[in-house]
Amino acid sequence: MADLKGMTGKIARVDLTSGTVTVIEPEESIYRKYLGGSALGVYFLFKEGIVDPKVDPLGPDNMLQFMIGPTNGAGPNNRSVTVTKAAYNFISIATSGGQASAELKYAGWDGVQVVGKAAKPVYIAIIDDKVEIRDAGHVWGKGAEEAEMVLKAEVTADLETREAMVRDADLTAEWAAIRPPKRKGFGAKRLAQAWVIGQGGENQVWYANVMTEAGRAHGRHGPGAVMGSKNLKAIVVRGTKGHRVADKKTFLEITDAIQMSERGDAFWREYGTAGIGASSAYVEDAFPIRNWQWCSWSDPNVRGMTGPFMYAASFVRKQACPGCVLHCLYPVEITSEDEMMNGHASDMPDWEAMGMIGGNLGYFEMEGASPEDTFTGTYADQAEHLAKLQFTTYLHDDYGLDYIEGGNNLALVMELRQRDLISVDDLDGIDLKWGDVHAVDEMLKKIIAREGVGDKLANGTYETAKYFADLKGNPDIMKYSMTAHRYGQPAHDVRSPADKNAMEYVTVHRPCEHTGGGTAGFVAGDWASAIAGQNNKVSTGDSMVACIFPGGHWAGKTVDIVKAATGWSDFSEQDLFDIGARTYALTRLFDIHTQQLSDPKEQWDKQVPQRWFNDPLPNGAHKGAVAYEGNPDKLFNEALPAYWKERGWTEDKGIPTLETLKALGIDDIAGDIAQQYL
Amino acid sequence: MTRVERRDKAPEPKPEEPKNGGGGISRKEFLEMTGTGIAGLVIGGVVGREVFPKAAPVAEPVAEPAAEPAAGAEGAAAGPAYMAGFTIVFDPYQCTGCMRCAVACAEKYSAEVAPEETADLINLEFARIRPMRFQYVDVINICHDCKLFPWAEGSEQAPCQEVCPEDAILTVPEGEGKAGYYGMGYKYVDREKCLGEDKCWRCAEICEDQFGSGISFDPIEKKAQVCGRCGGDPECVKACPEPMALTWMPAMRNGRFHAFQPTGYAELLYRKMFNQRRTL
Repeated sequence: MADLKGMTGKIARVDLTSGTVTVIEPEESIYRKYLGGSALGVYFLFKEGIVDPKVDPLGPDNMLQFMIGPTNGAGPNNRSVTVTKAAYNFISIATSGGQASAELKYAGWDGVQVVGKAAKPVYIAIIDDKVEIRDAGHVWGKGAEEAEMVLKAEVTADLETREAMVRDADLTAEWAAIRPPKRKGFGAKRLAQAWVIGQGGENQVWYANVMTEAGRAHGRHGPGAVMGSKNLKAIVVRGTKGHRVADKKTFLEITDAIQMSERGDAFWREYGTAGIGASSAYVEDAFPIRNWQWCSWSDPNVRGMTGPFMYAASFVRKQACPGCVLHCLYPVEITSEDEMMNGHASDMPDWEAMGMIGGNLGYFEMEGASPEDTFTGTYADQAEHLAKLQFTTYLHDDYGLDYIEGGNNLALVMELRQRDLISVDDLDGIDLKWGDVHAVDEMLKKIIAREGVGDKLANGTYETAKYFADLKGNPDIMKYSMTAHRYGQPAHDVRSPADKNAMEYVTVHRPCEHTGGGTAGFVAGDWASAIAGQNNKVSTGDSMVACIFPGGHWAGKTVDIVKAATGWSDFSEQDLFDIGARTYALTRLFDIHTQQLSDPKEQWDKQVPQRWFNDPLPNGAHKGAVAYEGNPDKLFNEALPAYWKERGWTEDKGIPTLETLKALGIDDIAGDIAQQYL
Repeated sequence: MTRVERRDKAPEPKPEEPKNGGGGISRKEFLEMTGTGIAGLVIGGVVGREVFPKAAPVAEPVAEPAAEPAAGAEGAAAGPAYMAGFTIVFDPYQCTGCMRCAVACAEKYSAEVAPEETADLINLEFARIRPMRFQYVDVINICHDCKLFPWAEGSEQAPCQEVCPEDAILTVPEGEGKAGYYGMGYKYVDREKCLGEDKCWRCAEICEDQFGSGISFDPIEKKAQVCGRCGGDPECVKACPEPMALTWMPAMRNGRFHAFQPTGYAELLYRKMFNQRRTL
């Protein structure tokens, strides 16, 4: 085993079929090449043959990985990442904050890889070197919140289960006489942390996520479905071994500098992502409203999605990931006249939830009003709208569902109802109308149980549209599927030129991700290089695994903290960028090979929402705008090939060339696959 | 760890006013100069220790300038102010669970008790302050300075001290100890005397069972650890980035206000903050 700093050099591979645990100890050269997190996870998907199209994503041969990086532990802004093959049959890389990430490092592991399938529901309990597979029958069928609390309390250190030792003789006579008869010995000296799935994951809803701390999610591309397919309810981890770094003084100094810089960041420290609601709707004209039919309200008095309103209406406190001073998660108590919603603890909602659930399901307008009407409600009405949004967020979190894909999915069905393209009977009698939280509640219950039409919706937005298009013999229904590369579009529209542009969603390495690019500004100069550079940089962040929110506070310090953690004195910024470039090349080949795409551009890259180019924005600051100035040919036939060329990929199909793979040092694991498609 | 400038930080003392100023100093100036001195007076009555030179009563400001904030410091405050009779109070609404307090504490004491083993290791098990996350609720576990009552328990020691078979948990009086680590009337574990976690866990057990969760054990020698307030200048409070989340407060508690385990605390916080009943 390599004597590593920053990383531990050990990955636990748990085979649920045989019930065995193997310790994987990669060479140091592998760590230098892939660092950790997402890149290391993708490396294993190739090395272990998960990329093979014959591997069923929801079968026992798929591998679900929980990975961390060199600064995770005592470093700043800790996150963890899941890497697997999604039920959609494309790459799944999803990050989440939360303390489990640091705890895994403290337990002495760089990752957990789960293969096989348990015969009955189980969870994995990790205390330092000890990895156990335990029965989870008592929490199977429970929501993520409750299951997490139950399982955390079960994973105890030896000390906590010891017999009581203090006897009456140890006390003064007076004390012994009045001592309460509890004598339970120890409570929890330090609670474990957990990654869990809700009912959505158990029943393999394709867009099920892995939850932690109730409101944090490995949110996109469905790692929860893979976890559920393995009968794995949770991974509970507790570590006492600490984080070993090469140069502790420098490591802590940089950590401290980043955190103290964060401390002055009013944007995150006041409202978190809720702070962008108003600007997204009224300035950028990019807020999802009613399945993206609108991206702005004509009356700016709609303010239930703004930070200050939410803060005043419901924020209770604020919560940070380990080593973070931005505390972007604000727990709330839902307050409503409606008994169904009143009194649930939830969080915020964050930016994506307020867009994908709040705006997209039509929660923010008064009944019967359109987004272009004057807003006639009171603050109390707006607080009720916020409650509907928070309650739906809570449902998605507790069931363990991605509310970006889920919001697109429900909004698609609502628009099909609005246009009378489907009937109530097609929805098993549930009339999904804009703003109807009770109908959403009923439909979600059917989705997580895969019951009736819920079994169709459980396969995500694109499959839902296809199902209804087939059922009704109406291919036009596909127009309303707001999916790029068969996955739901996050809450940033691309028709308005002020937010993201269409180039971003077709270049990022995970289907329709909103966190990998930021290409809207890159339209002039050496834009192809700028986009590739930005993609690589952000992707490397997922290998760290660090958060993108404090990116500005990390600026100029990233390579130094990696060097301080690992002790690789010759490690350079270029080495960091190369990690992102490797991830991009590998994930591109993964998606092409696992789906057997002979013509990737037609079969994959061009699969974007038709609305982008065909439905101009109806109101707002950028009224009339369409994506890429209404010129898809320019996007797909000029811009995209130029970007591929910049990456050293072929211009016709976007396949990484053998020279590129060799230069990146990944021809050994990906060369043969690339050869098949070049 | 950087010292965080805090809202509740005591004002810096000003250079001494010229004595022949005639009218003395204004009440405002007096309060500014004695911000900490007043606190010293308050506790003076509680624990009977005079950290600060005598200052005039607050109600009747007189010309005699008061009180240096730091014991023994001359002129402008040069070193840290070691305060006796203070406690650390945590506000569950302000705390975000960022773990900076635990890292700061663990770093300080791991370097003290196991410098070689932790030269390249950051291990929160060394921390005497232990944050614990229960989903939407964070609980900070730290010694609360419980004192037994002579008329009830026949002792006025802390419970952990009372049950220690080796008298290893000491109260180090002012003038002794090690500046910045222990002393000033706070607790200290004599690691030579402590039997260690494997042989004895009475202090931790009585704390968990009847009082709170203030005792932990270091991961190397397994000796008991208890917060000694860094001898009156706690590192965790300085590291905390959230205003008012950890307050260094001039009142030492001496009752059993924290007579429940962290899980009980968290259950109550759910009830109070979110109006939810949860059994943890």
